[in-house]
Amino acid sequence: MSLFGSKFYDFYTHPDDVGLMATEGKRYGYSGITVIGNCANEKTLFPEDFSIHRGIEIQAKPSRIREEIKKYRGCDHILIINGGEEEINRAAVETEGVDILMHPLEFNNVLAKAASDNSVSIGFNLGSLIRLKGVARVRELKTMRINLKHAQKYKLQLILTSDAHSIYDLRAPREMVAISSLFGMTEKEAVDALSVTPLNILRKKSPDYIQEGIEII
Amino acid sequence: MKTIPTLREKKRYLAFEVMSEKTLNRQELVKEILNSMISIYGDKGANEINPSLMSFDGKYGILRCEREKRVETRASMACINNIHGVRVSILVLGISGTIKGATEKFIQQTLINRQEPRKK
Repeated sequence: MSLFGSKFYDFYTHPDDVGLMATEGKRYGYSGITVIGNCANEKTLFPEDFSIHRGIEIQAKPSRIREEIKKYRGCDHILIINGGEEEINRAAVETEGVDILMHPLEFNNVLAKAASDNSVSIGFNLGSLIRLKGVARVRELKTMRINLKHAQKYKLQLILTSDAHSIYDLRAPREMVAISSLFGMTEKEAVDALSVTPLNILRKKSPDYIQEGIEII
Repeated sequence: MKTIPTLREKKRYLAFEVMSEKTLNRQELVKEILNSMISIYGDKGANEINPSLMSFDGKYGILRCEREKRVETRASMACINNIHGVRVSILVLGISGTIKGATEKFIQQTLINRQEPRKK
């Protein structure tokens, strides 16, 4: 079980109480979370060795998305786009600077190729699998299976997130790996999606990073 | 009469912790775990997993499953989100080959680790 020795990150959470979420996250075995929306004030106590990053979720009309991305891509927040129709996915994938495209519907090989050119990671939202039941979950699994197929073909970076609104939505890394096996992800891919891809994104956001392949050491 | 060792079913024990808004009883939890398994893997899959709840005290518990179906058991336990409107999450603490091992290594250890920070 040496696969589980690395650091794990959850990159898509909307907690009401960031302090509580951080304490629980640390107990579950995470090294950091990304908070979307209101971040904590300075009074909140955070556990040691636990990093909290800020993320921005862009929601706009398909025609406005490119401008929104350009507005935010200079800052050190993590840029997340909630995928949906093809137009939104296309705008997200073809513009440089986007980090994660969450749960795209109608994903195809053209979009996958563009994503691999601009190094955009594809996010799988396991929170929906936990919350939904019956036919809705079947539909969700089908979308994920298609996305995974394209991602494997073009060697895209995958990322697994929990979309937790409270501590009851959070799941430990091993549980996340087990859930991801429902739509055909292998154990190695799932562990990489929880540790290697987030670390890559954080490396890109660090001030020492200049361009792909150029870095201040 | 005892079955011969080669024909005996190979099993594993999962020590888990339940976090919920209200305390649950044993019956509700057993029903929900089975429902979740059947909803994901169907009747055939749930029968292959062969789950049975060995003990549960409202917070910590031990669940038996088939040795080759650990991942499936984890997945179906992780997919439980609410029981009769009460929000619930289950965290698997560890897997062991004996009930004694699961209790001593995971549940008692967790309790000790929890108490230590308070003493300081």
